[in-house]
Amino acid sequence: MIFVLLGVSVIVFIVSRGVPSAINPLGQYITPKTRPEDIQQIIKMHGFDQPLPIQYFYWLRDAFQGDWGYSFWAQGLPTNEVFFSRFPYTIELSIASVILTVAIGLPLGIISALKNNKIPDHISRIIALTGYSTPAYWFGFILQLVFFYYFFLWGLPHLPSSLAISPILERAVPQVTSMPVLDGILAGNLNYTLDAIAHLILPAFSLAFISLGYLARIIRASMLEVLRQDYIIMARSKGLTERVVIYRHALKNALIPAVTLTGLFFAGLLGGAMITEYVFSWPGVGRASLMAISQNDTNFIMLYTLITAAIIVVANLIVDIAYLFLDPRIKY
Amino acid sequence: MTNKETRTSELQATIADIKYTLHLLRQNPLVVIGSGIAIFFILLALVANLIVNPAVANQFNFSRSYLWNNPIISWGPLARTGGPPAQPLGTDGYGRDLLQMMILAIPLDLRTAFIIVAGAALFGIILGAIASYAGGIIDEAVLRVTDIFFAFPSLVLALVFAALFGRTLDTLTLAVLFVWWPPYVRLIRGQVLAEKEKTYVEALRAMGAGHLRILFRHILPNSIYPLIVQITLDIGGVILTFSALMFLGFSPTPAIPELGNLASDGITHVFDAPWLILFPGLTIVLISLAFNLVGDGLRDVLDPRLRR
Repeated sequence: MIFVLLGVSVIVFIVSRGVPSAINPLGQYITPKTRPEDIQQIIKMHGFDQPLPIQYFYWLRDAFQGDWGYSFWAQGLPTNEVFFSRFPYTIELSIASVILTVAIGLPLGIISALKNNKIPDHISRIIALTGYSTPAYWFGFILQLVFFYYFFLWGLPHLPSSLAISPILERAVPQVTSMPVLDGILAGNLNYTLDAIAHLILPAFSLAFISLGYLARIIRASMLEVLRQDYIIMARSKGLTERVVIYRHALKNALIPAVTLTGLFFAGLLGGAMITEYVFSWPGVGRASLMAISQNDTNFIMLYTLITAAIIVVANLIVDIAYLFLDPRIKY
Repeated sequence: MTNKETRTSELQATIADIKYTLHLLRQNPLVVIGSGIAIFFILLALVANLIVNPAVANQFNFSRSYLWNNPIISWGPLARTGGPPAQPLGTDGYGRDLLQMMILAIPLDLRTAFIIVAGAALFGIILGAIASYAGGIIDEAVLRVTDIFFAFPSLVLALVFAALFGRTLDTLTLAVLFVWWPPYVRLIRGQVLAEKEKTYVEALRAMGAGHLRILFRHILPNSIYPLIVQITLDIGGVILTFSALMFLGFSPTPAIPELGNLASDGITHVFDAPWLILFPGLTIVLISLAFNLVGDGLRDVLDPRLRR
């Protein structure tokens, strides 16, 4: 695990500093407040005068001390500050889209398995596969076009198309968690909460539509396998109703792979859904990283990729451990 | 039985197997539809340059930009109804016929997708097969490197790669290829590990067959089935990723006819000229869906647990 993270950091480091087209890292440490006489000291402190492999260790040391440099994309604020001020928005969006994914994907998968190779199976298969054949950027814009613009033109109640909260309400409640929905609930401000939820619907649905297909397909496959097991035949021959057989006996076992998949989805989303956040101007880390890449802000990219990689590695570990509890047959 | 006879009977068995698979595939209407659409687009890609002269992609006529002349459907603010529909799907920001541009874009997208998937599959399969067959420290090293790539947010890596090495079609192709091979290593590794413990491998070794021969002539053909599914599914995924790169502004030239780029051209005018983002996007969905339908059907048919 540590090895993977070190490997990720080496690749990121080489890509952002080692190639000829990389920009001079010194530039990221100079802010308007820097005095000319300090520049030599900055170079010495971060080892920019050393050869590349040595620079890596300087960088690693700085990173462990919490000094990630400055992000010039965000007007020279400390990189980690920029990242963690945006992270709550990404967490909120991830939670919302995982809830939607499960709420739609689970029934789709079950229906698909129960009506195997009949019309409902085909319909659910088309929905699932269309989901993961759809380009995220395109779907986001289409949703905006229909639910914001055309609903507005037709005089219907329309959903907001961008940002996490209306600018007019931005300062209405104290920012405790920086997650708009949670903040609104904590402050007991109904208007704020509803506005935040309205802003959440389109991006969350756009993300969920893309990932629910995978979930539905996995549930279908594992459900089909479980339904053929002897204990299901046993349960049926005991005279249990079909409902009980499916929901109490089969579904529990069929859900095991789905749980792990959902966990990995969540981890992937926490890393920021770059495209969806970009399309909906969501103030999360995914959009921030896209901006950083387009402006060659290497400090931010390094921090961002490392944290994302760490999240994915930890999520894999948690999923492995969760298996032990979910499936008593597995022993390590 | 002589060696030659064994080989012919083996061949017959393989042909019978393929025939049976095709028979199962035909049972599934969605696979038939999917392969129909896929074949249509591949044929269209082959003759695209004959239908539409590639030179029209460089003929800009800004007086005709964002024109929608279809009397059947009107789009609102910019719609100019009346007159025959000269451009059935409207014109783009450069005044070119959108339908022509989409036809020109399909060969580019499909070719790139095939190149990327073939490259990634080839690299991943060879690396994974050799590593898992050799075992020991090589296997461990390859596995660790794959783990590192799995932990990366792949789009970020591709974007950084493209940002650093310039925006040509070649570097964009390489950028996607660069992040696309790790799943193949994992897939083939599981297969080879299971396969190499089987008795026929032991028998081959006892007969004195070389390692390379055992691996590439015997183990690989036996473990290729799950990879076929993955390859089919990946073509759809690669088209999405590649067009996303283009959409995010990494296209080599702003006017290149590529589906993601055509859609990207429409963002700024998404409210005035929605056809610009609608039709190229729908085409991407359709192509990707076609390959996904085929791949999904193949998975059902080739999975021995679901067969019969």
